[in-house]
Amino acid sequence: MSSTSEQPRRAALYRLVVAEDAYLIREGIRSALEREGEEVEVLEYCADLGSLLRAVEVHRPNVVITDIRMPPTNTDEGIQAAVELRERHPEIGVVVISQYVSPHYALKLFEHGSAGRAYLLKEHVGHRIQLMEAIREVSAGGSVVDPKVVDVLVEARMRARNSLLARLSAREREVLAGVATGASNAAIAESLFLTKRAVEKNINSLFAKLDLTDDKTTSRRVRAALLFLADADLEAEPEVGSEL
Amino acid sequence: MSSSAVSRGVGLEQRELDLELRDSTFGMALQRADLVVIGVAFAGASAAAAIVATGGVVDQPTAFAAVLVANIAALALGGLVWRRGRPSSAFGSFLLAEAMLVFLAGLSGSPNSALHLIGMLGGWAAAIGATWLLLVFPGSRLGGGASVVLGIALATFLVGELPLLFVAPHVQGLTDIGSCSSACPANPALAVDSPSVAATFRHIEGSLQVAWGVALLFYLATRFLWASHARRRLLLPVFVSAAPFVTAFAVHAAVFDLAGVAPSATARAIFAATRILFPLGFIAGLLFARAYAGEALAFMARKLVGRPPIAAVEQLVRRVLDDPQAKLLFWLPRSDQFVDRHGTVVVLDPEFDGLTWCAFGHGDARVLAVAHDVALSEDPELLEAVGAASLLALESRRLEHDLVDSVDALRASQRRLVGAASAERRKIERDLHDGVQQKLVALRIELELARDLVDDGGLEGRLAHLAADFDDALDELRSAAHGIYPPLLADEGLEAALREVARRSTVPLSIDLEDVGRLSEDRETAVYYCCLEALQNVAKHGGDEAAASLRLWRERRAVRFSVSDDGVGFVARRPAAQGAGLTNMTDRIGAVGGTLAVRSAPGEGTTVQGAVTIEAGDRIGDVLNV
Repeated sequence: MSSTSEQPRRAALYRLVVAEDAYLIREGIRSALEREGEEVEVLEYCADLGSLLRAVEVHRPNVVITDIRMPPTNTDEGIQAAVELRERHPEIGVVVISQYVSPHYALKLFEHGSAGRAYLLKEHVGHRIQLMEAIREVSAGGSVVDPKVVDVLVEARMRARNSLLARLSAREREVLAGVATGASNAAIAESLFLTKRAVEKNINSLFAKLDLTDDKTTSRRVRAALLFLADADLEAEPEVGSEL
Repeated sequence: MSSSAVSRGVGLEQRELDLELRDSTFGMALQRADLVVIGVAFAGASAAAAIVATGGVVDQPTAFAAVLVANIAALALGGLVWRRGRPSSAFGSFLLAEAMLVFLAGLSGSPNSALHLIGMLGGWAAAIGATWLLLVFPGSRLGGGASVVLGIALATFLVGELPLLFVAPHVQGLTDIGSCSSACPANPALAVDSPSVAATFRHIEGSLQVAWGVALLFYLATRFLWASHARRRLLLPVFVSAAPFVTAFAVHAAVFDLAGVAPSATARAIFAATRILFPLGFIAGLLFARAYAGEALAFMARKLVGRPPIAAVEQLVRRVLDDPQAKLLFWLPRSDQFVDRHGTVVVLDPEFDGLTWCAFGHGDARVLAVAHDVALSEDPELLEAVGAASLLALESRRLEHDLVDSVDALRASQRRLVGAASAERRKIERDLHDGVQQKLVALRIELELARDLVDDGGLEGRLAHLAADFDDALDELRSAAHGIYPPLLADEGLEAALREVARRSTVPLSIDLEDVGRLSEDRETAVYYCCLEALQNVAKHGGDEAAASLRLWRERRAVRFSVSDDGVGFVARRPAAQGAGLTNMTDRIGAVGGTLAVRSAPGEGTTVQGAVTIEAGDRIGDVLNV
């Protein structure tokens, strides 16, 4: 099920093992990565959890891209691989690709620590910036969450009445969404056409409003922001009569 | 349908009681035949009294007339009561016949010598008839001991009285009351007037009469003492009313006839009283039996309210019948057999085990039978009461079983349907996810790659537009697939799926979700959609200010959930909209054997609480529930 890449034998910047059981998606990933030239080298393509873990032992890549759902059980093998690798090879970054926008899976991925982990929707794998950004971030110990997953959460929070998000300005919400995807202050500044200083000011004020402690480590910051967005328990507590 | 029921031998022609037909015996409304009997009895009693009063023959005309009227009335009434109360019994007819004999005895008051003779013979016949009644009561057959007693009675007449008819100038009565002394008409049958021979035969007659009375008394006493409790109820009134009479009968013969002592006025009065009292026992016996049967029926009905098991019903039957061997038998129409409650085929042989049976049913259809001591056949009211109560108990249990069976079957089929539907939905979601959705995702990747290769600004714009449309299509497909079946529910169970629901909730929601492990798919789906529906109800109907709380927890052998809100409450909402949602929830939970309760009051919010039981095969943590 595996095929070694035919990249030149020069040491590439990012040495990858890719696990994806669906042929069409795997070919998509191959094309997307080949386009990056010598910067990226795929050491092996796998199609299930067992062969992925073996390939990691053989090739010692610095980044793994893995489908969330693969044989043998077709449930959350990608997350299992991420947990396993944090234990055995904490230096290896893992990009989990998925068709699920449910924040549950991203949060589950971060349950055992967010450093060096990315959650990317498969449809964005073709997006050069998003894919390479995720690879770069995880290899450097950072965290990335697909903006679409964050959008789903922000939208739900905004629709909800009594949401704490209503206390934020529009700009602060945009910055918060950026923080939740794992973007650095500089990246947020660039995408929102702000100065880095303005982004920092917004972050300070929104973290204060939400009663969150800012963290200089982006991987922890992204987790805190994501948890805030995802965790309904932190919402203003409704007064509800006693249970039956 | 003969009353004594037990035909001996192989045929076993036991009684079949059709309860509906027996209804006609309920109540005591008079029929034309009864009126005729009453009229005839009245006329007979009046005629007898008139003959005695005007004949000037009898020594004690008043006492004799009173005895005659009272006995005819009591026997005729007894006959009616028995014929109506136990139409199957011949005993009512016996009593009417005895009333006729008593009337004949009244003719002895006539000065006409032929009528006087007929009356004297009628008196003998009435005495022997009374003995027969006491011996066969309450049936119509003579036992061995009873035949001896009847033999003595007949011998008294044949050996003692019959020769007297030819040697005595005057025919004396059997007892003092109907006797004549001075004004006796001449004996038309007199052949030889021989006082010494007559005295000898009088002595023989008196001795036999004493033996007759003592034997009858002894027979009644032993029969009463040996009888079962049930039988004693019937015998007691007869024994109580007959014993003084029979005792007086024997004493009369010993003291007055044999010892030659003249009876005092008191003795005469007592003797008259015992004769008046005697036939009333037959009426009282039947009324006692009916009353006891009524009590037994009421007692059984009370005990059957709790729908006891068949074994307990059988115990009740034994207790009420006072027959430790009594059994309930159940009819198997297909094999034409009775079985007991253990399913063993029962063949009863009254000769062998002293048991017989009485079947109960509707019309021609047998349902059950009560096997009982042969002696109880003479207590049909009681058997009927016991049988009817048992029949009722059995049928109510059958109905209940049928109902439970059909409800179970319905529930099982409902559950299969719901289970099949949810499995199908899950499959569709999987197919979409791995099929169309995956192809769209792959195409979306290709599209992005193509965009990367394009330098042409116009084409790039078109491709960007196409990419946005692609994203919309993907979003729609994703939410459709999620609506068909949430993959998270299948992958991770209720807690994770409900947490995700809470994340996307538009209503302010506090959650308290316990890890309840994994249940079967149909129950997880039912609980999930009930919570979803309840939360949607809060959003739709709870009002703008409503906040909700969602709980999921395990308690003993059940997984429970509740959705509470502090919204406007139930009554204030539009009932139609609320009704459909509630029915949906109840149906979903009901189909998997769960329960749902909704509590609401205007201004006090709504609480929906439900539960499904934990079953074998469910997983709690890593423990498989068995």
